Amino acid sequence: MSENAPAADAAMPGSVARQPRRASLLRFLMRRHPLALGLVTLFLIAAIFGPWIAPHSMTDTDLGAALQGSSAEHLLGTDPLGRDVLSRLLGSTVVAAEAFLIVVLIGGIFGTLLGLLAGGLGGILDLVVSRVTEVVQGFPTVLVAIVIVALLGPSLVNAMVAVGIAAIPDFARVSRGVAIQLRDREFVQAARGLGASELRILRTEILPGMIGPLVVVASFDGAQAVMWEAALSFLGLGIQPPAPSFGSMLREAQQYLSIQPQLAIVTGVAVTAVILGLNLFGDAISDYFDGDGR
Amino acid sequence: MLVYVAGRMAGAALTLLCVSALAFFATALAPGNPAAVLLGTMATPERVEAVTRQLGLDRPLPTRFVIWLGETVQGNLGVSNLSHKPVTGLLMDALPVTLELAGLSLLLAVLVAVPTGLILAQKRDRWWSKPAMAVITLGISVPGFWVGLMLIVLFAVTWRILPSGGYVPVSRGLGLNLRSMILPTLSLAIYLAPALIRFVRVTAQSVLKEPFVDTARAKGLGNFRILFRHVAPNTWINTMTFVGLQLGVLISGAIVIEVIFSLPGIGRLGLNAVLNRDYPVVQGVVLVAAVGYVFVNLAIDLAYGLVDPRVRTR
Repeated sequence: MSENAPAADAAMPGSVARQPRRASLLRFLMRRHPLALGLVTLFLIAAIFGPWIAPHSMTDTDLGAALQGSSAEHLLGTDPLGRDVLSRLLGSTVVAAEAFLIVVLIGGIFGTLLGLLAGGLGGILDLVVSRVTEVVQGFPTVLVAIVIVALLGPSLVNAMVAVGIAAIPDFARVSRGVAIQLRDREFVQAARGLGASELRILRTEILPGMIGPLVVVASFDGAQAVMWEAALSFLGLGIQPPAPSFGSMLREAQQYLSIQPQLAIVTGVAVTAVILGLNLFGDAISDYFDGDGR
Repeated sequence: MLVYVAGRMAGAALTLLCVSALAFFATALAPGNPAAVLLGTMATPERVEAVTRQLGLDRPLPTRFVIWLGETVQGNLGVSNLSHKPVTGLLMDALPVTLELAGLSLLLAVLVAVPTGLILAQKRDRWWSKPAMAVITLGISVPGFWVGLMLIVLFAVTWRILPSGGYVPVSRGLGLNLRSMILPTLSLAIYLAPALIRFVRVTAQSVLKEPFVDTARAKGLGNFRILFRHVAPNTWINTMTFVGLQLGVLISGAIVIEVIFSLPGIGRLGLNAVLNRDYPVVQGVVLVAAVGYVFVNLAIDLAYGLVDPRVRTR
């Protein structure tokens, strides 16, 4: 998903596998990147506890109370079917987290594996993987989604598989880069000298060195996943009603922009906050592993 | 240079073949017999079988792919299951709308983003440069289609100065046409620009460290002249590559924006086709978008030589 190419490039740190850490990650984030930490924490709380802390049902309709503004009963108002907007936003966060997981798992597992093998072993495999990555990266995500949904029907998983496939090149590019940087370093040669097989070296010596950069890519691609979940559900290619999702909520909100614009505004602010948090978190982690600070 | 051009062209051809195979097999393997879909629910099994044979659907898949490819190259993409019109005609009607939206948005995004990125690179120590970068990070995080909705709320609902959607063809007047394209173009450009600004800034920052910049400064040239005459040309190649990579974003974004503003472009055509299982149209849309994507990227690769003389001699 080179949809975020500039961000993913920031994932390549100047010096990989920098040991030892100067401060604990949590303290570093609290001191230097409080906004990133705060937004991601909020996202996690909402995604994990959302269904329990939601003040109302996410799907029960009450047409008598449709399209209300904010009130003590409904803090963020109600939607066209009278459902509580705050509760549905919390439900959307759960869906966004599912989207995040699907995309990062697909992209992370396949991409890292490909990049690790290509960069670590080199040769013809590297050539093939690099070429294919180059071609696939940047290919319009919506087209992949359209093909998959045409084949399998619209659903959250199908839409996110498309986004996950688009994320593979990002993970592959970064893990390949790290593997190439590391494969001739002294500690790797030492392991080779001790008779470790190449596959074992990849697993025990090189893979641990790419955790930091991969977390960075996961944050940025996770942010993209949330954005794409919203966009594809907005188009009707993702999650189907009555399940709440940022995208399907915005789709409903669009028809009532002139009557109750608040619906579109709060939903957009919520999804932007999630995406911004993940993007800032990616920047923060990159900063942490890069160590250049400010 | 020749080897480079040949390699790029071979790569483009290979990509096109893969994409067309993908478009074909994804739809050919989809559940449901197209012949049955075409005839409706009242058709007898014998009739369905006859049409299946007539359409060549009983032949092996590889054979069908070769036949389909041959027809496609000749511009015959079949007939829509929904409107029973030729797919090529539907695409030809929709394409100008999408091209106009994508072209205008890209133009606007580049015109705004390149100077902004250059200036942010040079003035990185000013008090406003950090807040400016924060705004850009925020811009990267805002979903483009939500920006579109907010523009509708502002310009069409609150101030009532621009239409909230719909397309006016150029044939009914360029002014009216452009008026209907203002909000869609703005939405898509706002979606594209922040990432481009960020990229130009990073690229320009590394160029600013080059010795020739010091030379220019030593000659007594002003900041503005250094930035736009000496630094900017050295960022073109990277910027073009980035725009090429962003092409997928542009195509995806255009599809979403078309739906929001009810523009009868490729995106809305493809989306309606997917939701109605109109496979010939899905194939056509995927193919057209992929061809556009491949050719623009190829053009960008080949244009390097025009922008940077150093590439030609290499």
